[in-house]
Amino acid sequence: MSLKRFYLLGFVVLMVVDTFSQICFKMAATHAEPFRIEPEWVIRVVTNPWVYGAILGYIGAFVTWMTLLRHAPVGPSFAASHLEVVGVMIVSVPLFGEALSAWQMVGAALIVAGVVSLAIGETSEPHVQV
Amino acid sequence: MKPLLITVLWALNILVDSGGHFAFKLAAIEPAADASTLEHWRHMLRRPWLWLGIFCFIAEFVLWLAFLSLVPLAEGVLLGMMSIVVIMVGGRIVFKEHFTRPRIIGMALIIAGVAIVGLG
Repeated sequence: MSLKRFYLLGFVVLMVVDTFSQICFKMAATHAEPFRIEPEWVIRVVTNPWVYGAILGYIGAFVTWMTLLRHAPVGPSFAASHLEVVGVMIVSVPLFGEALSAWQMVGAALIVAGVVSLAIGETSEPHVQV
Repeated sequence: MKPLLITVLWALNILVDSGGHFAFKLAAIEPAADASTLEHWRHMLRRPWLWLGIFCFIAEFVLWLAFLSLVPLAEGVLLGMMSIVVIMVGGRIVFKEHFTRPRIIGMALIIAGVAIVGLG
């Protein structure tokens, strides 16, 4: 696999599993409501299948991240992993009926632009120092 | 007393977040790049770096909850973004990753974007 495809595939998988985890967390939290520091709340959480989806997503993200780090530089990769914010924002509209403000869309666009800049940097001039 | 506690918790959060990612990077690059996936995982699981990274993230879970109990979420997220810069700088020092122009621009755009999403 070329490095370009490896990065593309890696970061797409990372964004998907991270977003999946966050959806599961939100679902689990909603199903376990009302939140109280009491044994009943803990029982509602651990008997809720969504929690296990969230844990599975975390394990998937961990394996993906360790695979990416074999070749990818940690600084830019960590910055690029914030693409998750955009993924969560997009799915929360149809899934949870959340409204996006204009500012949130501007923020999401900036994150995507940042990741595009990182991607261009990795593929066109990997060893040029400024 | 409270501002001091917030500052200490913030610094510890940045420390374990960045430390965890550096430990993971150290774990990931240790075996030869041509090792098979199975060999790679076997090697990583036998060495301390992966476990140090996992320990950092367990510690971060507790420290982050403690931090957020003292500052509002949006503010906490903004302050937490310092780790993007620390990991970028640390990557340069520890792993000789270069500060190229697209990387600096990309990092700045992502920080601005996450900040705006958090505030909006």
